Amino acid sequence: MAIIEVKALTKDFGKVKALNGINFTLDQGEVLAYLGPNGSGKTTTIRVLLGILRATSGSAKIFGQDAWTNAVELHQKIAFVPGDVNLWPNLTGGEVIDLFTSFQGGHRPSLERRNHFIKLFDLDPTKKCRTYSKGNRQKVALVAALASNAELFILDEPTSGLDPLVVKTFEDCILKLKSEGKSILLSSHILSEVEKLADSVVIIREGQVVKSGTMKQIHKEAHGRTLEELFLSEYQTKRGRHEG
Amino acid sequence: MRAKAGGLPYLKFIFRRERLTTPIWLLSFLLFSTGITLAYTHLFATPEDMLLMAQTMTNPAMQALVGPVYGLDSLTPAMLMAQQLLSLMTITVVIMNIFLVIRHTRADEEQGRLEMLRALPIGRLTNPAATLFFAFLTNLALALIIALGLLATNIDGMQAAGAFLYAGSLGAVGFLFAAIALLMAQLFSTARGALTGSFVVMGIFYIMRAFGDMSSADSSTHLLSFISPLGLGLQVSSFYQNICWPLPVLFAQAIVIAVIALLVCRTRDLGEGVIPARTGRQHASAFLQTPLGFTWRLVRGNFIAWSIGMLVIGATYGSVIGEIEQFVQTNEMFQILLGISGDGAEQAIAGEVAASFVALIMVVMAMIAVVPVILIISRLRGEEKQGRLEPIFARSIKRQHLVLLYTIIATLGSAWFILCAALGLYGASIPSGLLDAGETIRSALMYAPAILTLLGLAVFLIGLLPKLTGLVWLVLGYSFMTVYLGPLMSLPDWTAKLSPFGLIPQLPVQEFSAAPLFALSALALVLIFFGIKSFARRDIGRI
Ligand SMILES: Nc1ncnc2c1ncn2[C@@H]1O[C@H](COP(=O)(O)OP(=O)(O)OP(=O)(O)O)[C@@H](O)[C@H]1O
Ligand SMILES: [Mg+2]
Repeated sequence: MAIIEVKALTKDFGKVKALNGINFTLDQGEVLAYLGPNGSGKTTTIRVLLGILRATSGSAKIFGQDAWTNAVELHQKIAFVPGDVNLWPNLTGGEVIDLFTSFQGGHRPSLERRNHFIKLFDLDPTKKCRTYSKGNRQKVALVAALASNAELFILDEPTSGLDPLVVKTFEDCILKLKSEGKSILLSSHILSEVEKLADSVVIIREGQVVKSGTMKQIHKEAHGRTLEELFLSEYQTKRGRHEG
Repeated sequence: MRAKAGGLPYLKFIFRRERLTTPIWLLSFLLFSTGITLAYTHLFATPEDMLLMAQTMTNPAMQALVGPVYGLDSLTPAMLMAQQLLSLMTITVVIMNIFLVIRHTRADEEQGRLEMLRALPIGRLTNPAATLFFAFLTNLALALIIALGLLATNIDGMQAAGAFLYAGSLGAVGFLFAAIALLMAQLFSTARGALTGSFVVMGIFYIMRAFGDMSSADSSTHLLSFISPLGLGLQVSSFYQNICWPLPVLFAQAIVIAVIALLVCRTRDLGEGVIPARTGRQHASAFLQTPLGFTWRLVRGNFIAWSIGMLVIGATYGSVIGEIEQFVQTNEMFQILLGISGDGAEQAIAGEVAASFVALIMVVMAMIAVVPVILIISRLRGEEKQGRLEPIFARSIKRQHLVLLYTIIATLGSAWFILCAALGLYGASIPSGLLDAGETIRSALMYAPAILTLLGLAVFLIGLLPKLTGLVWLVLGYSFMTVYLGPLMSLPDWTAKLSPFGLIPQLPVQEFSAAPLFALSALALVLIFFGIKSFARRDIGRI
């Protein structure tokens, strides 16, 4: 079953065409890497999927339901981690995590689960958010997301600012989620992470899909080049065109 | 309703975040209101004292300042208290509501915190609706405690109907402005824009009320007092006629505006405002690339907006002066009171009343002119807290240099903003011919050293005790209480002398003396010197 189904999705901000006919699907139990250069429209796509932005045209469906009209029901089964986590300065990390889980309603995760992830990520939940370092703020959002009982995880550069040890922990968690049949949309700039985790890849540029396929197909297409070389060539075309 | 899903946990979340701020506001209101009310029994020993005070308040200048006067035939201390304080209390309650609503709506949205919440099963309208409901509860609690506090004082003329109407008016106007702020949070895409928009609306309504209240009851300008919610709230005539209908009207207005705000919110994208953010130039101009140019650019909007604001405030009060003349001509009581009669008496009295009004209004305007000055210097602290000073100091800009630039701009502001107000005041009074340009400007600039002193205190705090920068607002609040309210409530003189504003001779009425000006300027320079020195040495950081 397709967990996410995006069809001919466009989004305009005034005259700026941020998305221009995006198509892709994410199947159950799959990790989909959503890649593209800065400003290509990854975050915009994710915001449409979260029902935070309204699509200009086309459709974005999650679990077969419209992402905008059924946002509230859908979000009971979705966990989200942004790349730039900003928290309430006078609440503690533990309070924020509880806050997020309290909003999940009937799908509330257990206390052990929460504490397990806090320990796993070596987070001090008693500190006020204003005193957290960037990486620790990121960990708060990660713990809140991973501790939830979501079916779908939408992650927008989730490891930005994390140290390699934490990144490793995160990657293990994702693989475990995958083995449990959870689905994951992962937008990232870190290609090693993508190579380790992803089952399939979608690359967008200037709001359009320029390459998509399973990891196997991508490897085949690489013709002996490393994945990094392949991606770089996809990213670079744009710059060449701009300068030329 | 799905659009408001998760409302209850969201409301709990707001309670959690507000567990300190809102109770502090409410408690301060309660203490202020009951404390001052208690004082009213001692202030006016005889009915004659009260009548004299009320008579001076019937002049249009005072009505423009504090609102309508009523019940001269049966004055009680409670009535006098309500007339003198309701307008001031209303403004403070409005300010609380504006900050409360913007803090939970646009500020959270701008910082990207709302995005994470909206990814949870929370409706599109949960944030604005829960915030509005919390504001409703806050205003309800405020009205209840203020009313009960007033009743507990049990001063002469205190009665339940009046107390509840007085407090209800505060709550109703407060809630209406919560709704207005909510609408502004939808229109503007930044918290700063939404705050500015809300305060501009408040200013416009205040000016409308001032014009309405100073004009006679049968003129059409008097209607302005009913159109402006700040004026309508004062129409309850508490402890006298106890008129109820303004409260449901205010509440209905609040509901209409809230519904509009929610409708706008439902259709817009997260992060967007209705008024689009402007794009700017591609390159920094040569001036912007200098540290001075860069600093100026950061505070420019504030500087210009407040210059216009001060002009308008000055002009509003200036146009009162024309009314004074008319009032004196028609009010024999006033002439007898001042013991002047005969030919030319009216002109003389009008001049005298105008002079004492200018003296009073100048100190009020000077204290308003402090606000932009402090805002400008606080910007330095704001930039630091946002972590935006680090990249600047990482380049080769000296710290002393940067504080100095902010201080210089703010110092210019210390004289400039009050000057703008004086120009507005004089300009609008020209038709009456009662004011002299030179004298008006001189009496305004007298306050520059007092403003400079508060600026000095701000620089000192930012350098030495950055976490306590907010103290400077307390000092301003104290000055306002003692210098402006002191005479109304016959507080002892020394209370005002503790504030820099109480030390400045109030010019057309009091004698000029240079000593306090020099003393305050010297104090300000010392404070600035130590502030800058410590800023250069202390840690720079977000905390
Ligand atoms: N609110 C907005 N108003 C106008 N333009 C916008 C808005 N949000 C995004 N854009 C534009 O849409 C385009 C896509 O932005 P988006 O944030 O989706 O990029 P991204 O792929 O996430 O980039 P990055 O890798 O840097 O995170 C950019 O050109 C951006 O300038
Ligand atoms: Mg992005």
